[in-house]
Amino acid sequence: MLSDLTASTRRLALVGLAKNTGKTEALAALLRELQDAGRRVGVTSVGRDGEERDVIDARIEKPRVRLPAGSLVATTDGLLRASGISYELIEDTGVRTPLGRVLIARVSSSPSDPAGAIEVAGPSAAADVRAVSDAMLAHGAEQVLIDGAIDRRAASSPDVADGLIVATGAVLDREIDEVVLQTRDAVDLVRLPLVDDAFHTAAEDERLTLPPRFALTAEAGQIAQLLDEHPTARWLIVAGALPDRFLRSLLHPVHRRGRELVLVVSDPTKVFLWKRGPEWYRRQGILLRTLRRIELEALTVNPVAPQSHSFDSAQLRALLAEAIPDVPVFDVLDPGYAGAREPARTR
Amino acid sequence: MHEVDLAAVKPYADHLDDGLVQMSFTLPIPYSLAARRAALELAGAMGFEEPEVVHYEQLTEGYTYFVMYGRCTQTVDFAALQGEGFDIEYMNEDEVERFAREHLGRRVVVVGASTGSDTHSVGIDAMLNLKGYHGHHGLEGYRCFQTYNLGSQVPNSVLVAKAIEVGADAILVSQTVTQQNLHIHNLTELVEMVEAEGMRGQMILACGGPRVTGELAKELGYDAGFSKGTEPHHLATFIVRELAARADSPAPASPAAQSAPA
Repeated sequence: MLSDLTASTRRLALVGLAKNTGKTEALAALLRELQDAGRRVGVTSVGRDGEERDVIDARIEKPRVRLPAGSLVATTDGLLRASGISYELIEDTGVRTPLGRVLIARVSSSPSDPAGAIEVAGPSAAADVRAVSDAMLAHGAEQVLIDGAIDRRAASSPDVADGLIVATGAVLDREIDEVVLQTRDAVDLVRLPLVDDAFHTAAEDERLTLPPRFALTAEAGQIAQLLDEHPTARWLIVAGALPDRFLRSLLHPVHRRGRELVLVVSDPTKVFLWKRGPEWYRRQGILLRTLRRIELEALTVNPVAPQSHSFDSAQLRALLAEAIPDVPVFDVLDPGYAGAREPARTR
Repeated sequence: MHEVDLAAVKPYADHLDDGLVQMSFTLPIPYSLAARRAALELAGAMGFEEPEVVHYEQLTEGYTYFVMYGRCTQTVDFAALQGEGFDIEYMNEDEVERFAREHLGRRVVVVGASTGSDTHSVGIDAMLNLKGYHGHHGLEGYRCFQTYNLGSQVPNSVLVAKAIEVGADAILVSQTVTQQNLHIHNLTELVEMVEAEGMRGQMILACGGPRVTGELAKELGYDAGFSKGTEPHHLATFIVRELAARADSPAPASPAAQSAPA
C-alpha cells in the first residue's frame, strides 16, 4: 500500500504530470490508510483540493477530501468555515492567497456526511509550503502530505519535501505507449543522477558556473562564445532555472565541437523540459546531473482520461513497470489495490 | 418590518422571503396549450413551487417564448460570503498614487507579457499602456509605477530574466486559457521558473485572461487572477496593497513562524 511504502517520509509531496492524473485520489487513498493505521497527519495543498468540480472543465467531478479528527490542515479561513467541520484554530500563518489567508487548524470531529468534506488550499510558494509543513509537524502531525496542483513540481524539491509520489495517467495521450514514454521521461527527470565524484575532484577550469540568468536568455552565438572561451569546461553549473530553450541552443555548439557537456543543477525541479527527456539529451552529448536528489517513492496511475478515452489499468501498470523498473506502480481505485476498500468507482 | 436574515436570503418580490422569481426562456416547441404545460412542468423540475405562466407567445414558427413566476424554496448564506473578500474596494488613480507614496515610498516595477504561443497582447496593453482601458490610464500613466511591456509570444525564461534584471515587484502575465493543457502548462511553468530562480518571495505574480478566476489563479500558483471587467486601477490597487501588506508582515518563509501564537 502507498502508506506503508511512504511511512518514514515526514514530508511527502504528491505531484501530477498533468491535470486529472488522479493525484487527489491518491491523496484520498493515503488519508484512508493513515486513518486506519491511526497516524496523525497534516495536509496542505499548493493548489486547491477537495473541490467538487474541476476549475477548468466543470463536467469533471473531483474526489472530496475527508480528514479524521486530530488531523491538521492548512487551508484558507473561508474554506475552513465553508466546510462545516468542527476545528480548533492553531495558527494564522499570515500567508495570503487568492482564496484568502491560510490558517492551520486541527479537525476536532470527523464528518460522517459528504457535506463535511473540506477543501484544502494552503500556501503556493515553496518556502511557505515548507514553513507550514514544519509548523504542522511541530504541532504534532506525524506525517505531512503536500498535494501538488496541475503539473507544478516546486513542492517536490528537496528544499520542501523528503519524498515524492508522482501521478500519471491516460490524460497524457490517446496512445498508451506515448503515455508510458512521457511518464518515463518525467521520471528520468525527477530521478536525475547526482553528479559523480569526478565533478568534485575536477580541476578549476573544467567546472564553469554560468553567469546569472545566462541559461534563461542566452542565444546560440553567446553560447558558442562562452564554450570557446572555456575550451576545457566539462561541467556547466546552473544556479537557477534551466529551460529547454537553453538545452536546444546547446545542441549545435556541442555537435560542432564534438564535446560532451554535463549540466549541473541544484535539484531536478530547476529543469524545464518540453518534448525531449534527459535520455534524448544524453544521446546528443548533453548530460543532466543534480547536486541534490528527489526520493521518488511510487507512481500512481489513472487509466481514465475524463471526457475522453481510457486504458486497461493492469496493462498500463505493466507497461510502466517494464519501462521504469524500480518504482512501484499503483492504481488506488483498482479493486486489486491492497488498500482498496470498496469496488472501484466509475470514473 | 422584520429584518433580513443574512444567513438565509431568498428572492424578494412583494414581501420579504416570498421567494418569488421572474424568469423568461424559449422552448423549441410550437405555441400551444401543450407548450404552456411543458413550461410549467419544466419550472417544477427546476425546483420552483407554484410555477405560473404569466405570458407566452410564439417567437417564430415552432418556438414559444415564456415569462413565468415561481417560488424559490432555497436560500443562500450571504453572511458567510461577506467576509470572503469578493468586494474589494478599489482605489482610483489618485488614491493609488497617494497610497504608494505613503506606504511604499518608491516606484513599483511591473513587468508584463503574453507568454508562450499566445499572440493576444490586448489584455496586457490595456493594463500597462498609458492609453489604458475604459477611460482609465494603464499603469504606465501612474507616477508610482515603472512598467515594462514585453509584448506577446514571450518565452517564460525571457520574461523571468527581464523581471529579475529590472528588479520587478510584480510580473503580470496574460494567457487565453483553454482546456488545452498547453496554455495551463505555460502559466505553471512561469511560476516554477520564478521558484527555480529563488525569487518567488520577492515577486507578486498575477495572471489575467478571459477565463481566469481566483480559484484557477490559486491552482496555477499565482497571487491573483484577473478576468473580464478588470480595469487598470483594480490591478494597481491589488499590487500596491499587497506590497504594503508584505512589508508589514512578511510571509513565514522560515520555520521560526512555528512559534506564532495560536
